[in-house]
Amino acid sequence: MVMVSMALLIWCAGWWLNGRLANSSASNTSAVKLLVPAIFGVTLLIVWELLVRGLEVSLVILPAPSVIAARFATSLPVLWQDFQQTILKGALSGYIIGCGAALLMAIAVDRSDFLRRGLLPVGNFVAALPIVGTAPILVMWFGFDWQSKAAVVVVMVFFPVLVNTVAGLRETSAMQRDLMQTYAASYWQSFFKLRLPAALPFIFNGLKISTTLALVGAIVAEFFGSPTVGMGFRISTSVGQLALDMVWAEILVAALAGSAFYGMMALIEKTLTFWHPSQRG
Amino acid sequence: MKTLLTAAAMALGAASVAQAADEVKLQLKWVTQAQFAGYYVALDQGFYEAEDLDVTILPGGPDIAPTQVIAGGGADVTVEWMPAALAAREKGLPLVNIAQPYKSSGMMLTCWKDTGIAAPEDLANRTLGVWFFGNEFPFMSWMSQLGISTEGKGEKGVEVLKQGFNVDPLLQRQADCISTMTYNEYWQVIDAGVAPDELITFKYEDQGVATLEDGLYVLEENLNDPAFVDKMQRFVRASMKGWKWAEENPDDAAEIVLDNDASGAQTEEHQKRMMSEVAKLTAGSNGALSEADYQRTVKTLLDGGSSPVITKEPEGAWTHVITDAALN
Repeated sequence: MVMVSMALLIWCAGWWLNGRLANSSASNTSAVKLLVPAIFGVTLLIVWELLVRGLEVSLVILPAPSVIAARFATSLPVLWQDFQQTILKGALSGYIIGCGAALLMAIAVDRSDFLRRGLLPVGNFVAALPIVGTAPILVMWFGFDWQSKAAVVVVMVFFPVLVNTVAGLRETSAMQRDLMQTYAASYWQSFFKLRLPAALPFIFNGLKISTTLALVGAIVAEFFGSPTVGMGFRISTSVGQLALDMVWAEILVAALAGSAFYGMMALIEKTLTFWHPSQRG
Repeated sequence: MKTLLTAAAMALGAASVAQAADEVKLQLKWVTQAQFAGYYVALDQGFYEAEDLDVTILPGGPDIAPTQVIAGGGADVTVEWMPAALAAREKGLPLVNIAQPYKSSGMMLTCWKDTGIAAPEDLANRTLGVWFFGNEFPFMSWMSQLGISTEGKGEKGVEVLKQGFNVDPLLQRQADCISTMTYNEYWQVIDAGVAPDELITFKYEDQGVATLEDGLYVLEENLNDPAFVDKMQRFVRASMKGWKWAEENPDDAAEIVLDNDASGAQTEEHQKRMMSEVAKLTAGSNGALSEADYQRTVKTLLDGGSSPVITKEPEGAWTHVITDAALN
């Protein structure tokens, strides 16, 4: 009971502190901007720890953060192996192949009205296929190793990038395109100098959505058959062994990797689309 | 609004009358199939009713861990394999075996004969499909007994694949051998058009690494409650009556299972065959756990190679309190 009331107390203290910081005159400094979410996160972790211990929640239902952290620290080699297998081999290669193919296809669609009318509905259809249905089939086709996971990722990321890129390439106004014509620019000249830059915010939108899709796809595909390594493998087998601390450690890795991946894309976007109104200020 | 409330109150009243019998929720390890025929028979034939029990049977599935359900309070008693139950016990979820309707293990490794596999020693340097989710433990123990590493292909090692719950990896020759149950997946291979003499099977029972399957487990703390113990005694008695009835009338038992299969996924031929195979595994058990079988299971698990399932001899993982009273 002591721990539960302590948890409540700390929650209120964190709330009060954040309220004071946000309303203070220093609220616009970057230090406070970082401090407020940090305090919120730390409070959440402490409250979680105290509640789980105070209410004696079984490890099987929800392990305390300290238990997860201990497991994380002692399983670094295993986690690194799983990270390589699932994220570097499965998700990243699938992401590169899928997004690359979608970009090329978008250009083909842009050049041909026939493809736009015929291919986009098919793409829509493929995007609507549930992963739990396609993953076992792709595992059957491409084997148990990372190749089948990359294939699942390709299927998942292809469509969002394609649709966004096609929309982006239609973004320029008729006046701008006419101007390029009066300069006697060829298709590729006006493509690289005008239409591709104009499409970048759209393309990055698709690429950013796809970062998380790629991780989810690679992890879930491992549930349907995998070698004895990988994050999805570890999560599903650890649940069977009731090693929930391991499951949470893998979730932590996935969260960290996902945020880093997304952050990286956002950073590239910022440098390439500095001219766009959304990046100013 | 008033009539609605009255109706609701009346419905509640009626429900409470109907539920005068003691409620028992049973969580199965897998989907509705003849593997659990005894429980469905006991329900269908009124054996539970005769013991004044109101039993609800909750089917499992690939994404349901029975141990987690019982830990979360979703069930009173669960069907589980002993390796998973003992692993859970060591992880701090004190499951206790109260009855053991299955005497023998139905797990085996099924291989293509034309790959040249004739004896367990020939398994080295092959690709093997193994079920995980708690079912990998006897396999790991077997491999460590044979001195074969599971870390990758080689002179003294095998490539292990996490196999889904289907037989495609064998049919597609992605694996030389896969895990099968005598009563289920083996027949899926046969049904796919493979002749039995094209296959070679290794029963875990024959290799001396068989672990106890399909026992009944409850949470240890509940056994301190005399009312719960009494309820379980009646439950085990009725369930065993159901099992023996199923052994004697396999075809009728299969029909009862089919009637209870809400998913409609099971076929009559498959279930009748499954029931006749399951009857071979339950034969010889009166429901009481044999201590020798328990010791063999624990030994198999402790020998589990580099990552043993359990690291020390479990204590209090089984009790005869229920079966002693239920069977006499």
